[in-house]
Amino acid sequence: MHRRRAWLAFALLAPLCIWLIVTIVIPIAYLVQLSFTTTGIFGTAAEFAGLANFQRILGSERFWQSARNTLVWVIGNGLVQVTLAFTVARLLYRRTAFTRFMQIWIILPWVIPGVAAVIIWRWMLSGIGVVNYGIQSVGLVDAPISFFAQPSIAMATTIFVNSWRWFPLLTVILLAALRNIPTELREAAMVDGATENQTWWHVVMPLLRPVLYVLGLLGTLWSANVFDVIWLLTRGGPSGGTATLPIFIYEEAFTRFRLGSAAAASLFMMMFLLVFVVLFLQYGWGRDLRRRR
Amino acid sequence: MRKVLVLILVVAYGFAFAQTEVRVWHMEQPPYRVERMQELIDAFNAANPDVRVVQEVQNWGDVVPLALGAVRARIQPDILFTIPDFTVTMRATGAVQPVTELAERLDEEHGFLDAAIDPYTYDGEVWAVPMYGMVMSLWYRADVLEDAGIDPPSTWEELLEAAEALTGDGRYGIGIPGSRSLYTDQVIYNFMITAGAEDIFDEDGSIRFDNPETVRAFEMYERLYQYSPPDSVNWIWGDAEAAFAAGQVPMIVQFTVITTFDQQTDEPADNLQVVTIPVPEEGGQRGNIYYSNAAMILTTDEDRRDGAERFLAYLLEPETYGRFLTMEPGLFLPVTADGQDAATFWEDPLVVAYGAQVETMIENSQYGALFGFTTGQVFDEIGPISAQNLLSQVVQQMVVTGLSPEAAVQWGQREMEDAAP
Repeated sequence: MHRRRAWLAFALLAPLCIWLIVTIVIPIAYLVQLSFTTTGIFGTAAEFAGLANFQRILGSERFWQSARNTLVWVIGNGLVQVTLAFTVARLLYRRTAFTRFMQIWIILPWVIPGVAAVIIWRWMLSGIGVVNYGIQSVGLVDAPISFFAQPSIAMATTIFVNSWRWFPLLTVILLAALRNIPTELREAAMVDGATENQTWWHVVMPLLRPVLYVLGLLGTLWSANVFDVIWLLTRGGPSGGTATLPIFIYEEAFTRFRLGSAAAASLFMMMFLLVFVVLFLQYGWGRDLRRRR
Repeated sequence: MRKVLVLILVVAYGFAFAQTEVRVWHMEQPPYRVERMQELIDAFNAANPDVRVVQEVQNWGDVVPLALGAVRARIQPDILFTIPDFTVTMRATGAVQPVTELAERLDEEHGFLDAAIDPYTYDGEVWAVPMYGMVMSLWYRADVLEDAGIDPPSTWEELLEAAEALTGDGRYGIGIPGSRSLYTDQVIYNFMITAGAEDIFDEDGSIRFDNPETVRAFEMYERLYQYSPPDSVNWIWGDAEAAFAAGQVPMIVQFTVITTFDQQTDEPADNLQVVTIPVPEEGGQRGNIYYSNAAMILTTDEDRRDGAERFLAYLLEPETYGRFLTMEPGLFLPVTADGQDAATFWEDPLVVAYGAQVETMIENSQYGALFGFTTGQVFDEIGPISAQNLLSQVVQQMVVTGLSPEAAVQWGQREMEDAAP
């Protein structure tokens, strides 16, 4: 009986295992293999290169600049998106006709295809775009602002556009989590004399923590892997100021034609993210879970 | 018995009317270009029942990884449109088939311009069939310059003076890009040619980018860039055209502005004028970037290759070639001698309206050069140098990072040397 059950379990799990092997294990194995070869242009012959690709990557100023940019990008996006999402979720928390209307339409930036949204923003932020026209019309500035001229401004602008696209999703998730918190708990705190802010900070926030941990983990991984928004807005420029690791990897593979080095950089990035996940689970979410038990 | 006969008849019928599918990848995305291409394909398919040409539209931004991936997966198109440096990259995959015999036959029939076919001729073969040429010139608003009492510039100093005089009141004297893009590569290369720095490689293939002529060209670009809009640091071709059409800049260095100007302004055609790229007062030479787009054949299947060759030959027939070129009137220039006289080209309404400008472009194309393809030899380094847009990165080192032209050019030399595959 037990053996039959075991076979049934294997049979049921087999499709998933095969799927994971085909979509994750084999590509990673291929990536590892590529990283030890001299593969240049995709599909061409290559030789064993030992650790040369890893040495090249670690000695590349562009790689470290991209790693720094990735850190700024992830932290910047995290701060902007969480702040926006929290603020809007809190505003939409109260049920009125307006908030009911808004909680449907707020998801609109998420619904617009990414490429279209980014191209629209690129035009709106250009020297002859509507944003410059608006701020010049109301007298805020005399000359058009160049949102992509300097690395720091370009990075801030790119973070803003990416956050604009992603924060509605976070808002909806947070709003759903907020609505799941029993109102009795907040009312009890208020009866005990807690102010609105104290109630949010000491009652609501701790109850939201599991959702925030999930968002923090997924959001970081998603942000770190964003390619389309940056590529379409700045192509990593100016002067590499917005080039994150995915941009670096793409360029290494398809503009510098060093697929082996690109594979090595991908492995580094995967390791960074794995270390982050482990630390996050160990000291963040995991510690919180252990404390709750 | 009857069943066997029917089966034989069906199979024979199938063989007799079997169509060979020829897949064409091109990167002409605007809908009206796709539509014109489809019209030509439909006409070809109707006249050639044994071949069925199918177009698949890609874009220049993605085509390198897409094409490399397609070759790897053995699902590459039969015809792939290309430019010279992309051809070098694709050749490394081994998928590009020589088209020497076809090119020679078409050359006899139509007469290819040397500047169009030379960048595709090396290692004893021709690797792609030239299809249309593109040349950069200085486009300007005649009425704006006239109001300011400025003659069309023909020298660098005149260009600088004009750009300075035209800057003010929310307008910038000239629009030149500072972005990391192929567009910036192309614009700066115009100044390199006129400064005498058109050769990036020495005869032996070593990089000779860091030289006084190149520095001179970048110095000029830096001086001129101060009269360009601040957001030109992020411009690609369409942004420059939009700024020109919106009146933000009265001069731009561009392949063409005819369609945009005609569609987006109410100005008469005479207000749009074009001249050759200004040259330095001393030691300069006339020149501009020019290159032909071409078609590679990637199939080894005999039937498909035959279909592909017939389709390319059909496009270059003068009766169809003019219609092919005017999928974007005033941008795509003939690469064949008889194409330059094709009635179907000169009868297009936009070409009629802007005939003088088109003639200037055709004349400019005779002074054309393309980076990496000037010495008669083709070196593999041009693939990554071009794909990385290294010329434009040198521009960015000047206008964004603040390096001097000398230091920026030295940086470019190092990067180009490092680009060796």
